[in-house]
Amino acid sequence: METIQEIYLTNPATKKDWQRFLTSQGLANFSDQELAAIDKTFAIYDDQDQMVGTGSIAGQTLKYLAVAAAGTSKGARFNRLVSTLETTLSQDGIFHLFVFTKLQYEQSFIHVGFTTLAKTNAGLILEKGLPNVASFLAALPQKPASAKQVAAVVLNANPFTKGHRYLVETAAQKNDFVYVFVVEEDQSLFTTEERLRLVQEGTSDLVNVVVATGGPYMVSSLSFPAYFLKDDSQRVSYQTRLDATLFKEQIAKPLGITSRYVGTEPLSQTTNQYNQALQEVLPPEVQVELIPRMKESAENQQVISARTVRKAIQTGQIQDVTDILPATSLSFIEKYLTDLQARIKKGQKIDGN
Amino acid sequence: MEIKKTALAGTLESSDVQIMVSQGTNGLEFDLVSDVAKQFGEQIQATIEDVFAAYDIHNAVIKVVDQGALDPVIKSRAITVCQRALDQVDQPRWEVL
Amino acid sequence: MVASERLRRTMMFVPGNNPGLIKDAGIFGADSIMFDLEDAVSLAEKDAARYLVYEALSRFDYGDAELVVRINGLDTPFYQNDIKAMVKAGIDVIRLPKTESAEMVQELENLVASAEQEFGREVGSTHLMAAIESAKGVVNANEIAAASDRMIGIALSAEDYTTDMKTHRYPDGQELLYARNVILHAARAAGIAAFDTVFTNLDDEEGFIRETKLIHQLGFDGKSVINPRQIPLVNQVYQPSQKEIINAQNVIMAIQAAQQKGSGVIAINGQMVDRPVVLRAERVMALAKTNHLVDQEGNNIEE
Repeated sequence: METIQEIYLTNPATKKDWQRFLTSQGLANFSDQELAAIDKTFAIYDDQDQMVGTGSIAGQTLKYLAVAAAGTSKGARFNRLVSTLETTLSQDGIFHLFVFTKLQYEQSFIHVGFTTLAKTNAGLILEKGLPNVASFLAALPQKPASAKQVAAVVLNANPFTKGHRYLVETAAQKNDFVYVFVVEEDQSLFTTEERLRLVQEGTSDLVNVVVATGGPYMVSSLSFPAYFLKDDSQRVSYQTRLDATLFKEQIAKPLGITSRYVGTEPLSQTTNQYNQALQEVLPPEVQVELIPRMKESAENQQVISARTVRKAIQTGQIQDVTDILPATSLSFIEKYLTDLQARIKKGQKIDGN
Repeated sequence: MEIKKTALAGTLESSDVQIMVSQGTNGLEFDLVSDVAKQFGEQIQATIEDVFAAYDIHNAVIKVVDQGALDPVIKSRAITVCQRALDQVDQPRWEVL
Repeated sequence: MVASERLRRTMMFVPGNNPGLIKDAGIFGADSIMFDLEDAVSLAEKDAARYLVYEALSRFDYGDAELVVRINGLDTPFYQNDIKAMVKAGIDVIRLPKTESAEMVQELENLVASAEQEFGREVGSTHLMAAIESAKGVVNANEIAAASDRMIGIALSAEDYTTDMKTHRYPDGQELLYARNVILHAARAAGIAAFDTVFTNLDDEEGFIRETKLIHQLGFDGKSVINPRQIPLVNQVYQPSQKEIINAQNVIMAIQAAQQKGSGVIAINGQMVDRPVVLRAERVMALAKTNHLVDQEGNNIEE
């Protein structure tokens, strides 16, 4: 009888066998970054102790999933693997999972309860479990029935600056209703909770604006990992298109969003690539409004950037950035300056996003 | 009874059924994936709803992936997922069996 | 047929959390089916397996097979709920793993009796058997076999036993010879069944037949099997010869003749036929019938 068991890639012989099997199944990306993300790996062995299937968990994502075909048992092996990975996640309290895969495997995953979130020629992303994208949408504040022009802005806001404020304000002036989604991933100098709070406080006077986190669905380590980790440009291109497609199909369509506002991006190549992907994918259903970035001042033509604020926090020169921060963000930074500086000292990166 | 935590029971293997339960506010919200949904969907749902009624659970999101499970299997997985969701794994409700 | 004379050539192990195997367990002709809540079920699925086996026992048809459940050991948190659920489900036999003393059987018996009362089942109707899996269990085999009127058998479980003995299993089975004989004697002295251990290498059919012949020769009632493929192989080994069948038929006919004459004395060729001979004849005829060597009336079926 075939057995399934957890295997340990820390054992060099096991890892070699695992890589050999995956390579034979056409999976060959064993970059250190990908391997480091793996939490657990399971494998199916046949009666002769040969590996005939494997799958891994990285956070809440299934990875390195492959089964060898053998008559009619391929589906059974696949189901057994997915089921084991899912049960293992549930024991750690994780009931919501994702998978990226090639188009030809879409039906296999749908058959075991996954639903497709976004699909491009290069691949697709599916999710299963609870809470899912439907629960995410249901928990958002409702727009008024009269709202026709509905805009969305997605921000990391690390922290919220006058530049962000200008973008949201522009959207609010030209639309009946605006959703501001704050990136949920907690990898920035300001925590998700702090970023959300500063965006809420900095836009509280705009009556047609609601602020919420983007969940795992917008610029997350799931939909767009290269936003947080350097990656090669081909993969960035794949991810940006997938993230844009996900936004269009799963967020904009059900919420009736008609335009997405983004700032021009002269500083970050990755973000620039992302803006391009949005322009390629979203229209005509969703218009992309590219708003020129606000400048620091008439004398200083530098665009306002949250990174400038983070650098000032590091050096303690807050007086240099008072002009580019809303009063709410400024008072927060002044109050928690030592704490923020301690985070940087402890190794929190401030150069990225 | 209120669902205490999200729970999962059963597997995706042949003849089994996988049931996930989470807190809900709008009655029993049922979602079924099955090759035989047209033929047996109502029966599968009825079996699961009977168990939920026995546990006095009236609000829940229930996601079911069926792999051709027979009724006793469905009932046992529904019992398991209720006990887990109510955080009462060690205190079986004998009257429900 | 009284319980002790029941055929128990094969006891098929069925993992307790596998619906596909559980629903089909009745179709392979195993004399006993043992649903496993213990080693075959991971810790996180103990509850799921218990409810699955409960529903299966309550609703699936397993024909004439004797239904056994291996519960989790008394040092586990699952022990008491396993007992309650299985008694409520009306199981024929509860199998206690890792049995090392008569007290362990008696503790089980007390819990079974109170579960029978709680769920309105006739007190005493749930039978017990013990698996011997350690040197201590072998040493105490006699008291274990005789520990309760509910006991119907004891079984050798060789994987844990050989580990305890600081050895492992070998093809010739020398390492199990002592334990097999002790368990067999304990069973026979107590008037209950003796079950041999599993043979795990499914590809070694020759080795399986060799081991089954050995335990048949020693006198075991039967063997534990882990795959339906092993069932006909065991039955083949346990099949009586034509000569044994004819002898048994002679005994049966002598009994019938004595009954017709109203005589209490049964004799063949002028020799008195005593009770063990009658029991053996009945057993041979039961084996012959179940192997379809004779029909229900006892007529020989031509090959």
